Amino acid sequence: MNQRSLLGALIVTIVVMLRAAPATAEPYLAVMTGYKCNVCHVNPTGGALRNDFGITYAKVLLPAETVDNTLDSWTGHVTDRLRIGGDLRTDWSRDTAPNSPSTQAFALEQFRVYADLTILPDRLGIYVDEQVAPGGSQNEEAYVRYGSTTDGFYVKGGQFYLPFGWRLQDQTAFVQQVSGINMTTPDKGVEVGWEHSAWSAEFDLTNGQANASTGSGYQVVTQVVYTKPIWRVGIAGSSTQSGAGDRHMGALFAGLRTGPIAWLAEGDVVQDDSLERTLVGGLLEADWRVLKGHNLKLTAEYEDPDRAVRNNQQTRYSLVYEYTPLPFLQLRAGYRHYFGIPQNNSQNQQLTFFELHGYF
Amino acid sequence: MNSRSATALSRSGMALSIVLLAACAGNGDGLDANGQPLVPGGSAPSPLSADFESIQENIFTPICSVCHAGASAPEGLRLDAADSYNLLVGVPSTEVPSLDRVKPGDPTDSYIIQKLQGHAAVGAQMPDGCPTTQPCLSATTIGFIQQWIMNGAPPAAATATAAQSAPLAVTSIVPDNMEAVNAPPPQVMVAFNHELDVSQLSTLSAHFEKLATAATSTVIAQVPAQISVSSANLRALMIWPAAPLSAGHYRLVTDATSATQISDIGGQQVALGAPDERGETVISTFDIEALP
Repeated sequence: MNQRSLLGALIVTIVVMLRAAPATAEPYLAVMTGYKCNVCHVNPTGGALRNDFGITYAKVLLPAETVDNTLDSWTGHVTDRLRIGGDLRTDWSRDTAPNSPSTQAFALEQFRVYADLTILPDRLGIYVDEQVAPGGSQNEEAYVRYGSTTDGFYVKGGQFYLPFGWRLQDQTAFVQQVSGINMTTPDKGVEVGWEHSAWSAEFDLTNGQANASTGSGYQVVTQVVYTKPIWRVGIAGSSTQSGAGDRHMGALFAGLRTGPIAWLAEGDVVQDDSLERTLVGGLLEADWRVLKGHNLKLTAEYEDPDRAVRNNQQTRYSLVYEYTPLPFLQLRAGYRHYFGIPQNNSQNQQLTFFELHGYF
Repeated sequence: MNSRSATALSRSGMALSIVLLAACAGNGDGLDANGQPLVPGGSAPSPLSADFESIQENIFTPICSVCHAGASAPEGLRLDAADSYNLLVGVPSTEVPSLDRVKPGDPTDSYIIQKLQGHAAVGAQMPDGCPTTQPCLSATTIGFIQQWIMNGAPPAAATATAAQSAPLAVTSIVPDNMEAVNAPPPQVMVAFNHELDVSQLSTLSAHFEKLATAATSTVIAQVPAQISVSSANLRALMIWPAAPLSAGHYRLVTDATSATQISDIGGQQVALGAPDERGETVISTFDIEALP
């Protein structure tokens, strides 16, 4: 069996063994390359629309096979001032939980389109991230941006994702669930950011998800990241003031490259004042670049939904294979196994998925 | 960074990975299925599964019906065990009427899923206040609701079976009995224990009457009503005001030309409403309190 056949067999094997949630960020690539998020993404905090270099990376460096000439002209630019992009993810998944019938289905997980309009080069722009399917059109991000997102200060105003820890592809990761900050929960407000050399910092003042319908309260989020070529470390904090009860959160996260493996780790602590509850979430992820265009992702996660309650901890382990045969096309297959208290079926389920991801 | 530091960091990463890999899930001792400490003398609910009975017991009753119950239920959506199914399945949401709260077979276009996931076009993510004052439902928990919807959103099997052996009867009217609600109800729901014969709907008509006072039957305004039964749930008759109701005392009565009996698909009949002293058939009476 030659190398290609072996890889094919490996993919098929994994395919028959997770469920993915929609999103577009892959921070392991940043750790693997030593880049800051703004090197590949228009949004300085990462995710969604890719910039010129991000498109080049997607065309040349990420896939197993490059396509000569035909894609050379595609840079995401419709005009000099308007850039567009998108992600479409569709999958087949199978859920199995104790004492419940297994289910399997094909699904369109997401089709999202992005646009960035430059009004004044390097100073003023408008950014939109719109989910157009499934269901009706739904705005994820829409903001006005003033300032430089590559070196110096910038200000965003509108609706956007909050910066808090790793912006993972999997929105169901425990650290994303514990904090409640992920790429399905944009918030409205303003963000002041600073990008300089190895430093990235953001300060956000927003409504807070808990205050969405109350017209009172606010949320403050701050994040600082220091990035070096083979490692980085970040710290984030958040405080939500709400009539229903305040919430305070902290996160410490780090990345490290050792040879072909990128390591990501994050620990979150959340304090709910009104509930007198402390939650803890942890993530460890290893991404092994097996070959160009092939990535094996292993994750181990931990969640304690209430430190004051004993015997309620949950863990989750995932194995995901990502194959990018061609520019702008990725095949993902994975398996996740949840372990929780035995009396809760959903905390002990197994998910298998096979996903087709097209992007531009 | 020099190679020694990199090695040290690498070893730290390895150590952290071993710790995480070795972390064990809780054994659940002393906890109920939701991971909460058992109350002495209380009984633990059955584990969550993708059927309505389990979802009601594990999610709607302990979490949602804290707010979504009684006269002050937001959007008129009561998620107590008696009313939740009939007010969810095949019923248009009040925030986005183009979407049913639960659309059998289509979790993506079911408004409840959008609200639980925080994707809904209107209002806050549910449970209200999550994640600040209480945890949001986890993706896996929402997954069980999605799976139930994908399976066609069937009612609780035990309830449906037991009702078949009983005569056709009204099981619930929301709102009714001079109940005071703090917002105009989007509809009056009349629930039955059997599936209705929808071919007879055209013989039914009704209207809302606004009364001068709760104690008198002096009508000061009338609002026409539309009657419907969702094909997704043939056990619930929905009566919709043609225009929003304002604060005041109301009763819902059948028109003079309307039939006053309704049949199930087996031919059994039951009266829709009860006659008052004026000979009108009253289906429901309720008050809408003026909001502060």
